[in-house]
Amino acid sequence: MDGVLIGSVYGLAAMGLTLIWGVMNVVNLTHGAAIVAGMFALYLLTSGIDMPPYAALPLILVGGFLIGVALYWIAVHRMIGRPPLMILLSTFSVNLVVIGLGTAVWGTGLFNVAVALPGVTWRRYTFSGTHILAAVLTAIIAGSLYLFLYHTRLGKAVRAVANNREAAELVGIPTTRVLSLSFGLGVALAGAAGMLIATMFPFTVLSGDAYQLKSFVVTALGGLGNPAGALVGGVALGLVEGFAAQFMPVSWTLVIEFVLFVVVLIIFPRGVFAFKRS
Amino acid sequence: MTALLEIDGLNKSFGGLRAVSDLSFVVREREILGLIGPNGAGKTTVFNLINGVFAPDRGRVRFHGVDITGHPPYHIARHGLARTHQIVQPLAELSVLDNCTVGACFGRENLSLARAGAAAREAAVFTGLEDRLSTPASQLTIAGKKRLELARALAARPRLLLLDEVLAGLNPTEIERMVKVIRSIREQGIAILIIEHLMQAIMGLSDRIVVLNSGQKLAEGAPTEIANNTAVIEAYLGDPALATTLHGGAQP
Repeated sequence: MDGVLIGSVYGLAAMGLTLIWGVMNVVNLTHGAAIVAGMFALYLLTSGIDMPPYAALPLILVGGFLIGVALYWIAVHRMIGRPPLMILLSTFSVNLVVIGLGTAVWGTGLFNVAVALPGVTWRRYTFSGTHILAAVLTAIIAGSLYLFLYHTRLGKAVRAVANNREAAELVGIPTTRVLSLSFGLGVALAGAAGMLIATMFPFTVLSGDAYQLKSFVVTALGGLGNPAGALVGGVALGLVEGFAAQFMPVSWTLVIEFVLFVVVLIIFPRGVFAFKRS
Repeated sequence: MTALLEIDGLNKSFGGLRAVSDLSFVVREREILGLIGPNGAGKTTVFNLINGVFAPDRGRVRFHGVDITGHPPYHIARHGLARTHQIVQPLAELSVLDNCTVGACFGRENLSLARAGAAAREAAVFTGLEDRLSTPASQLTIAGKKRLELARALAARPRLLLLDEVLAGLNPTEIERMVKVIRSIREQGIAILIIEHLMQAIMGLSDRIVVLNSGQKLAEGAPTEIANNTAVIEAYLGDPALATTLHGGAQP
C-alpha cells in the first residue's frame, strides 16, 4: 500500500521524462541531475533560510521550469534534428557537470531533510505523513498537467507539436518556443519529484542516477510519451518495490526492477500500459 | 481588384538544382489562381517559399501589404495565410475537432479556446466532417484527411488559402463535393492559390492560371488562353489527347 504512495512520486518523475520524449523525441539525460537539484533545493531552502518544506515546492517548480527552458536553449536546441546520439551526449554532459559541481560542493555523503508530519494509522498499517502528502501533491501536479494539456490553448499547442511538429508550425504555432516550454515543464516535474522524494528518504549527490533509471523503468511500463501511463507505471513500480522488500533484502529491489525492465522491453516494447496508440 | 499576394523575382536552388527561377506573379483579392505544371516543375517549392518553409535565395514575397520574405511559417500563418498539403499532415492523435481548434487558435485571429472551438466546429461542418468531430484524425479515410486539412486551414479564417493537390486520390463523387466546397470558400471572400493535376477540375475552377515549367513561368492567363497557348500545349503538355481534355474543361 505504501508502495502506491511512493510509486506515484516515481510516476511524477517519469512524467517529466516522458513529456520531453513525447513532445520532442529527446531522451533527456539531465533528468537525474534535475531530480538531485530538486532534492538539494529543498535541503538548502529548509536548512538555509528555514523555509517550511512544502513551501519550497512552488519555488522548485518555477525554478525548475526556468532552468529547464535555459537548458533547452543551451544544450538541446541546436541538436534538434541531428542524430539522436548528439542529444544523448549533450544532455549527459550537462548531467556530469551538475553532478560534478554537486560533488565538489557537498561531497557524496548522505543528506536528510527532517519533515515532521504525523502518520496515519488505519487498522494495523501506519502510513507516514510525508508519503501521503507526497502522493497527494503528485496527484495535484499530475491533475494540473492534464488540465493544461487538454484544456488550454497552450496545452493544445504542445499536443499538436508532439503529434506533428511540421504541421503545427504551419498552422501558426511557434514550435521552437513550445519545445523549450515542454523541456522546462519536464525539468520542473523532475525537480518537484526530487523534492518530494527528499521529504521521504535520505539522499546523496549521486542519488539522481538511481532515480533516473527508475524513471526509465516506469516509462517502459507506461509507454514512452504517455504522461498518464507514466503515473500508472510509477504506481506499478512502487508496488513491485514494496512487495519485493517483504521477501528479500532491500539491496535486491534494484535487481528486481531491472529484470522487470528487460522483461517488459522484450514482451511489451511499447509499454504495458500503452493505451490506444495506433 | 487589388493584389493580396505579390511574388517578385523569386529564386531558389537546392545544391545545383534551380527549383524556382525569377518567378513573379500576383494573387488578387477573392481570386482563384491555378498553379499548374509537370511533376518537378517546382509548384510545391513555390508554396514552401510563400509560407516560409524555405527562405528564397533572391526575391520578395509580399502578403497583404507586408513583406513576409524569410519569416518563419508560424508567423506567416498568423498573417492569414493557411495551407493544405499534398501529403496530408494531420495531428494524428488529436480528434478532428481538436485539429481544427488548433488551427483556429493560432490562426489570423488568435482566438481564445472557447471561440476557437466554435470556429473549428463551423469549419468542420462546412467541409462535411460534422459527424466525425471526435474521431482521431488518424482514423479518417484519405478523403476525410483531405477535408480535415481544408477544415483546419479554414478554421484559421485565412485571407489566402494555398491548396496543394486537394483533389489527388479522390474518387469522382468526392472530387465533385470538394470542388463545391472550394467554390463556396471563395464566396466567403477568401482568395485561393491552388496546385492541381486534374486539368478539367482546375480549368473549371480557376479565374486565372500560371503555368510553371522547370521552375520558370511558361504562361499566365485565363483558362481558355492557357488551353489555346501553343507553347503550353507543345512544350509542356505535349500530348494532343491531354490538350483536348483541357479544351473540354475550359468550355463546359
